[in-house]
Amino acid sequence: MGKITGTTSFNRRKFLLNSGWLATGLTVLTACKSVIPVLPTTTNPENEDGLAWLQVLVDGRVRFFCPRMEMGQGAPIGLSQIVAEELNLDQAQIECVTPATNQSPPFKMTVGSESIAVFSEPVSLAAATLREYLRERAAATSGLPVGQLKDAPGGFEAAGRHFFGYGDLISEEAIVLHADDYSSVEQYFNAGKNPYNAVGKRWPSPDIENIVTGKVVYSRDVSLPGMLFGDVVRPPRFGATLIDAKVKAETALSNGQVLVIDVVNNLVGVVSDNPFMLADALEKIEPVWALPKDAPGLDKLDIARYRGNGDFEHTLIDNGNEALVGDAGVQSITANYTTSYMAHAAMEPGAAVASVRKSGVEIWCGCQDPYFIRGRVAALLQRDEGDVIIHPLRMGGGFGGRVLSQPAEEAALLSAHVGRPVRVQWNREAEFQHNYFQPKFSHAIDSGLDETGKIAYWHHDFVSSPIIFGLVPKGLASILDTFVADKGTARGAKPPYAIEHQRLRYSDIRTDTPTGAWRGLGAAPNTFAIESIMDELAFAAGKDPLAFRLAHLVGDGQHIAQLSGVLRQVGDLSGWGRSVAKDRGLGIACATYKDQTHVAVVADVAIDHSERQVNVVKLWCAQNSGLVINPDQVENQVLGNLVWGCGMALKEKLTVSDGIVNERNFDTYEILRHEEAPEVDIKLVDTMQAKPLAVGEAAFAPTVAAIANAAFAASGKRPRSLPFNYDSLYT
Amino acid sequence: MINLNGKATRVEKVLYDVSLLDFIRDQAMLKGTKFGCGQGFCGACTVHLDGIAQRACQLKMSEVRGHKVTTIEGLSALTDDEGLHPVQRAWIAEAVPQCGYCQPGQIMTAAALLAANPTPGDEEIRAGMSGNLCRCGTYSRIHRAVARAAQER
Repeated sequence: MGKITGTTSFNRRKFLLNSGWLATGLTVLTACKSVIPVLPTTTNPENEDGLAWLQVLVDGRVRFFCPRMEMGQGAPIGLSQIVAEELNLDQAQIECVTPATNQSPPFKMTVGSESIAVFSEPVSLAAATLREYLRERAAATSGLPVGQLKDAPGGFEAAGRHFFGYGDLISEEAIVLHADDYSSVEQYFNAGKNPYNAVGKRWPSPDIENIVTGKVVYSRDVSLPGMLFGDVVRPPRFGATLIDAKVKAETALSNGQVLVIDVVNNLVGVVSDNPFMLADALEKIEPVWALPKDAPGLDKLDIARYRGNGDFEHTLIDNGNEALVGDAGVQSITANYTTSYMAHAAMEPGAAVASVRKSGVEIWCGCQDPYFIRGRVAALLQRDEGDVIIHPLRMGGGFGGRVLSQPAEEAALLSAHVGRPVRVQWNREAEFQHNYFQPKFSHAIDSGLDETGKIAYWHHDFVSSPIIFGLVPKGLASILDTFVADKGTARGAKPPYAIEHQRLRYSDIRTDTPTGAWRGLGAAPNTFAIESIMDELAFAAGKDPLAFRLAHLVGDGQHIAQLSGVLRQVGDLSGWGRSVAKDRGLGIACATYKDQTHVAVVADVAIDHSERQVNVVKLWCAQNSGLVINPDQVENQVLGNLVWGCGMALKEKLTVSDGIVNERNFDTYEILRHEEAPEVDIKLVDTMQAKPLAVGEAAFAPTVAAIANAAFAASGKRPRSLPFNYDSLYT
Repeated sequence: MINLNGKATRVEKVLYDVSLLDFIRDQAMLKGTKFGCGQGFCGACTVHLDGIAQRACQLKMSEVRGHKVTTIEGLSALTDDEGLHPVQRAWIAEAVPQCGYCQPGQIMTAAALLAANPTPGDEEIRAGMSGNLCRCGTYSRIHRAVARAAQER
């Protein structure tokens, strides 16, 4: 193994002080990278980053400063299991902490189903490095050779007699490890050993008892001594800018209420010492807004506008063959598909508490990227980033919608004005109007079948809006939009099938409607188009949709084998090919998420003519996401994706008129309800792969298409525009 | 006065127009009852009013004076022992929560459902729980937990 040296000289002393590392115990640390300000934190972790996340306490337990935010996806639990696996600990011996921004060097925002897939390696290496350093200390303490010190729960044992607990090996001294060659440390978590110590177990969330008793603290639950209550009159439509504001004639704010006008930051609000009088006070404010000139309209997001002249910004695959279009031996199949604007609709509307003082700024909020929030708040307040501390909290749902924390920025501005801690809580209407959205997608696919029933060509064009770059500031946006193809918009747009002649083009058009990360980014809209036309092609060819897909998954390589594998498994699981009753239908779809996770879904859909309803009766899902760290958490994520698939297929649609969102609450923006939720059957494919892969968004995309395909099987009518319902199918 | 989780709690006249939800969270400082939509559509703020599940965001304090209000914090007091309510135990056994935000409301609805109907069938559970939204999509586990709690009560 590499050289690991104890040293007390390091350049990140501040983090250690803030984490209590210098007071007691032992930690490992090396340099960490900086990140680009004002953009979300996007750099992948380096292996050595992991060394700043672990600390051995004098009682022998390990504190894990988890570099992932918890929003219900359970990533901190899985990563804790990896720490436990490397250090031979049980769950009670791991204290998993969400670090404040002054307790850990910056880490990548929690997005993209990456927490386990990307962070398992550096976390594992750090824990293994720590273990081997402790083994060396045990050897030095005992005078025994390192080789005689065998792993034991919570420490090492020698010759079956002497036990050295981790707590025995450290003292009150401050030790920081510098490890200069981690890669040679033996890792246990993915070594293929069975049974695993911690990996593969169904560890519960350490917070579960606090959740079911209402004791977990979310952003909305934070209360500070001396805290005031703020709220903001937000712009009446996208792009509106504040000119001035005043208290309405013949009204007055109460004692203990302050009007805050900040034209530079486009903010007008009230801070009140009484939370119950805040809403009334806000009603008394009369802002003057400048409304934007007509911004690019939403009609731009229509594929028909671009197809005529073939003017697309980005070409991902350029091997089409126009000569085959209309060829006598080729049957042409063409279709357009659209998906809607959609909202995250997390159950917890945004909220934050900010305390802005001369000595420093502190923010409490649930967010997917605390370092991004820190940079934005610092810029807003014209403070040094080092003056700002973000305390991230468990989120009441994220789904991509908490990369920004607008309430944190509002609370910071209000607090700066009044010099006291201020709480801002968005209501549901604000959450719908003032967050960012999943963009609408408009697809056209021209394809053709040759005489053998194989796909001869595939010309796919689509138009949508930027997703990954959706949140960048205006000035930067125009530059980015010119030069950079938004990979988020294109996620999942390449078909997995062997088709000789393919062309794939798209445009990511910025409109005045804010767009950004939403579960799976482009994967679900793009997969809906791909897997719908695959179904149309199968029927046109007179082939079974499962067999038709398998026939086009040809070639060598793990991906082909694994995607075919989950298709066959979900076929077996669902009894694919069996006959079903009238007005019932089975539909199938598959996808590979982020070039790694393979998922196939079968949906059983029933048409209820008397109630004029389309019902998803059951969903079967087979997923190959590599090594499963915690089956319970993975199954929960798959379950969530299946439910989201039902919602996107049948219910969710957000519409915008003149920069105003029409759906402001759950009566009009409908998400799936309990009684609509299908029975589910989830199979995690047991692979001997050593690597855990993306889970959090993977099963969503094929679910949407499977439901649409099942509706076709049940009704003979093809849903090409989402969401669909009974009326849209039959009219 | 209201009886809040077994304790007589004064309601000042100036707070009569405040919602029960705001009172619980910002006056009684019990944060387990959640704000979700403010319009009675989502069920995150579900509490028991005289044992019946109600949306705390849809009730004014003037309407609940003299009544008995139970929140998630008071639910475990409804059990004979000092531990958790059977519904809470079932929620843990089935590892229901993801983000967890809606779960106090789900649990309050389930507890009231089981108090009124100790042996609900599948359709009764589906209908009874449908007023509570869960964006993480934990419905099938919620269903299993309600059925488990019914069996183990």
